[in-house]
Amino acid sequence: MSERLFDEKTLRQLDQLSLIANRVRAGAMKGERRSVRRGTSLEFADYRNYARGDDLRRVDWNVFARLERPFIKLFEEEEDLAVHVLIDASASMDFPREGEGDAKHHKFRFAQRVGAALAYIALASGDNVAVTALYGAGLNVTWGAHRGRGRALALLEYIGALKPAGNLDLASALRDYALRYPRAGLCLFLSDLLTPSAWQDGIAALQGVGHEVAIIHLLAPEEIDPPLVGDLQLVDVESGATADVTVDAAMRDLYMRRLLAWRDETAAYCRKRGIHYATVETSTSWETLIMTELRRLGVIR
Amino acid sequence: MSFLAPLAFALSLLAVPIILLYMLRLRRREVQVSSTLLWRQLLQDREANAPWQRLRRNLLLLLQLLILAALILALARPYAEVPTLASGRTALLLDASASMNATDVPPSRFEAARRFALELIETLGGDGEVAIIRVAENAEVLMNYTRDRAQLRAALERAAPSKGAPDWNAALTLAAAGAQGAEKFTILLLSDGGLPPDLDLTLYGEVRHVPFGAASQNVAISALATATDPVRGAQIYARLTNYGDQPVEVIFSLSLDGALHSAAPYRLAERGEVDITLADLPSDFRRVQAQLTRPSGSAIPDYLSLDDTAYAVYTPVRAERALLMSRANPFLERGFAALNVWQVYRGDPSRGLPAERYDLYIFDGWLPPVLPEGNLLIVNPPPEPPPANLYSIGALSTQTQVLRVRSDDPRTRYLRFNEVNVRAFRPIQAEWADVLVEAEGGALVLAGEFEGRRVAILPFNLLDSDLPLKIAYPILIANLTAWYQTPRALNLEGSARIGQTVVIQPPPQAETVRVIAPDGSATTFRPDQPLLIYAETAQAGIYSVEMYNGGALIQQEFFAVNLFSANESDIAPRAVQLGGADGALAEAPEEVGQREFWSLFALIGLAILAVEWFIYHRRLGVPRLRGGAVRRFGRAARRS
Repeated sequence: MSERLFDEKTLRQLDQLSLIANRVRAGAMKGERRSVRRGTSLEFADYRNYARGDDLRRVDWNVFARLERPFIKLFEEEEDLAVHVLIDASASMDFPREGEGDAKHHKFRFAQRVGAALAYIALASGDNVAVTALYGAGLNVTWGAHRGRGRALALLEYIGALKPAGNLDLASALRDYALRYPRAGLCLFLSDLLTPSAWQDGIAALQGVGHEVAIIHLLAPEEIDPPLVGDLQLVDVESGATADVTVDAAMRDLYMRRLLAWRDETAAYCRKRGIHYATVETSTSWETLIMTELRRLGVIR
Repeated sequence: MSFLAPLAFALSLLAVPIILLYMLRLRRREVQVSSTLLWRQLLQDREANAPWQRLRRNLLLLLQLLILAALILALARPYAEVPTLASGRTALLLDASASMNATDVPPSRFEAARRFALELIETLGGDGEVAIIRVAENAEVLMNYTRDRAQLRAALERAAPSKGAPDWNAALTLAAAGAQGAEKFTILLLSDGGLPPDLDLTLYGEVRHVPFGAASQNVAISALATATDPVRGAQIYARLTNYGDQPVEVIFSLSLDGALHSAAPYRLAERGEVDITLADLPSDFRRVQAQLTRPSGSAIPDYLSLDDTAYAVYTPVRAERALLMSRANPFLERGFAALNVWQVYRGDPSRGLPAERYDLYIFDGWLPPVLPEGNLLIVNPPPEPPPANLYSIGALSTQTQVLRVRSDDPRTRYLRFNEVNVRAFRPIQAEWADVLVEAEGGALVLAGEFEGRRVAILPFNLLDSDLPLKIAYPILIANLTAWYQTPRALNLEGSARIGQTVVIQPPPQAETVRVIAPDGSATTFRPDQPLLIYAETAQAGIYSVEMYNGGALIQQEFFAVNLFSANESDIAPRAVQLGGADGALAEAPEEVGQREFWSLFALIGLAILAVEWFIYHRRLGVPRLRGGAVRRFGRAARRS
C-alpha cells in the first residue's frame, strides 16, 4: 500500500454512517440490526400460544393470570448484517494509466477508496464484512468475513494492496462468488461494467441467493469524452482486442450518445430488478460520493 | 478528343506511389483504451446505418487519384478538332491603320480583328505556325513564326491601333519573306480593305482577306492649310469631305492658339465636299486647330473620330528691311530689291545713319563712326581704319587673279568667280572672317560674325569690276541674303502626315533641341549634325520645336501633323485586290484546327483539390474538449 486510503478525519466521519439494508434478514450472530428471528433483545415483538416444551421463563404470567391461558412472549432479535464489497479488479479498471489521462481519475484507485470506505462503515456498525477483488471464477480473492472495528486497519491494508489485472468474465466471477458466499446480505458492487460478457447474469445469480445488490458504476472522464482524434487503432487493455476507428467530430458525438444510451439501458435494467444503481465519474471526490450520492441512493444512512 | 502529348499518360504511374503512401499512412496510431466495447458497438451501429461510411475511409485516396487523373489529362493536352481559317504557316497581317479605329463594329474594328486573331490562335492546328505583322505607318513584326500560343496571345494583347495610313507594301513584303521553306503558306489579311491598287508584289501562297467594318458614315477634315495674302493677311483654307452615303450637317469650328475663333454649320451632300476659306484673321496667331462636330440631334453617326480634328501652323511672312548707304550704286539697290525678301531703303551718307533699326546695313564706300547693331555688307571700304578695329586694310592691289573659291560653304553655293574681273581691290585682314573668294593679292570676298553681327565685305568698288554683270552677282547676293536671314529650322510645306519624318535644321548655336509632342512628351536632341530627323510623329497635333543655347530659348517653331488620308477616312469596307489572289476570300475553304481544352481539366483538378482539402479538414477538425459533454453526462446520471 503506497499511500493511505484515508486520513483520521475521514475515518471519524465514516464512523457516523451506517449501511442500510432494505430487507430484514436472519443474521448469523448477535448484532445491531433487527433480524427476522425472535430473540433476546429488550424489544417486544409478539405473542404466541404456548406449546409444549417452550421455556416456561418466557410465559407472560400477567396474561396467563387474566386469561388463564399460557402465552409465550416474543422479543425482537438483533443480529448482524452480511456486507459484501465486490471490487472489479479487471485490467479495464486500471485506467487511465500514466500518460493516458489524469492519474487522479484512476478507476481502480477510486474503487479501492470507495470500497474501503463502505467496508469500514460496515465494520464500524458491527456488520459482517467481506471484501472481494473479482479476478474471475475461482480466482477471486476475499478478505473476511470479519466483524468489528478492530479489523479496520487490516481491512484498509488489504484493500490498499489490491492490484487490477487480467481479463475478467464478470458474469462467471459473480456467479462463482454467489455460490461460495451464499450468506444473504448487502452486496456493494464497484465496477465499470466494461465487459464483453453479460454481467446481468452474474447480478441475477447474486440476487438469486438473496443479496440486496447496489451497483456503483465507475467511469473515468477520459471514457466519457475521450481525448482522441484521427485514424486510430484502439487497443483494449483488458482483452487486447483492437478496433480501427477514425475519430472525428461526428464520431465523437456518436460515441457520446452511445455512452449515454448504454448508461440509460443499464439504469433501466437495474430499476426493473430492484438494484441500486449509481453512475459515478471518477473525477468527483469520493467523499462527495459517500456523503451525498450514496445517501441519496439509500445505501447509507 | 485527341491528345497532343499522350506521353503524359505515363505519369499515371504516379498513382502507384500515392496508393503506397496511402497504405502506409493507414497504419493507424495505436491508442490504449480501457475497453473497446463501446467503440465496437458504435462501429457496428454506424456501418449498419450508413453503408457508405466504409467508402468514406478511402474517399481521400479516391479524390487524390481523381486529382492526379485530371492533371494528367490536362498535361496530355487534349484537343477537339474545329474548323479554322489557317493551318500550316500563316502570316497574320493585322491592319492597325487609322480607319481600323472606326467604331461601326463595336467596340472598334481593330478590337474585332484582334478578337478574331485571338480566336484563330486558340484553334491553331498542331502544325500551325503564325507570325503577327502589325500594319501601320510602318510594318512591324509583333511576333515571328512560332507555335507558342501564349507568346502569340501576348503579342496580340500588346498591339494597339495607330492613327496613320498603313504601309501595305512593306507589310506584304515582310509577310512574303515567311513563305520560304514553308510547305503551306497563307497570308491572312485582317483588314477593312483600302489596300492601294498599285501594289507591285509577287505573292507566294494563298492570300485570304477577312473583312472588318460595316458602315461608311464618316465626315473628315481632309485638308487644312494657312497662307499669307499680301493684301488680306492671314488666310485659312479647309476642305470637308463626307464619305458617307447620306447628306449630313456638321459644325466646323476653328481655334487659334487654343481660343475658339469661329464656328459655322455646313451641309455636305452624300460623298460630297465643301471648301472653306477664312480670311480677316488676326495676324499674330501661330497654331490652328479645326474641329468637326455634329449638331445636337443629328441621327447620322460618325464612325471615325480621328479625322474630325485637324491642325495647322501659321507662319507670318515679313519683309526684312535693308538700308543702303551709298552715293550712287544702282547695282546694289537692284540686286537686293530683286529679291522679295528685302525692302530696301536709301540713306544719305552725308547725313549720317538714321536712328531707325534695320535688319541689314549696306555701306558702299562709306563707314559710320560707330557700327550699328545689325548685319553689315561693306562694299568698297574706305582706306581709313574702320571703327571698332573691324579689320585692317592694305594698299590697293591689282593682283586680282582669282585663286580659289571657298568650297563646302552655303555662302559660295553655285558661285563661280573665275569669269569675274576686278580692276583693283584693297586687301583686308580680319580674323573673324572666312575668306570666301581669294585672289593673288588677298581676299576678294570675306564673311563672318563679328560681335553678334553678320558681316560680309567686298573690298572693291563694284563699278571697277564686271561682277554686277555676271551670273555670279545674283547668286552671291542670294547666298548672302540666305545667310543674313535667320534661317528656319523647319523646312516643311503644309503639315506632315502621321508617321512622316520631319527634318529639323537647327541654327549652329543651338546646343539642345527639344521636340514636344501634342501629348506633352518631349524628345531632346544634342545636335552634332546639321540635320536632325524626327520620326515620332505617331500622333496628330501640333509639335513644338524648341532650340536652346545654354538654357536660353533662342528659337521656337511649330509644325502640325495630320492624318489627311482619303484612303483612311473613306472607311467603307472594300474588297482586297491583290496581284494573283483576289475575290471573296472570306469564303475560303475551311481547314481543321485544334482547340485545346487542357485548362478545363486543370480547373477540375483544382476543384477536386479544394474538395479534398475541405473534407480533410472537416475530418480532422478537433472539436473542443467539451466540458459541457461531461457535465451533461453527470446531470443525466443524477436524473436517473
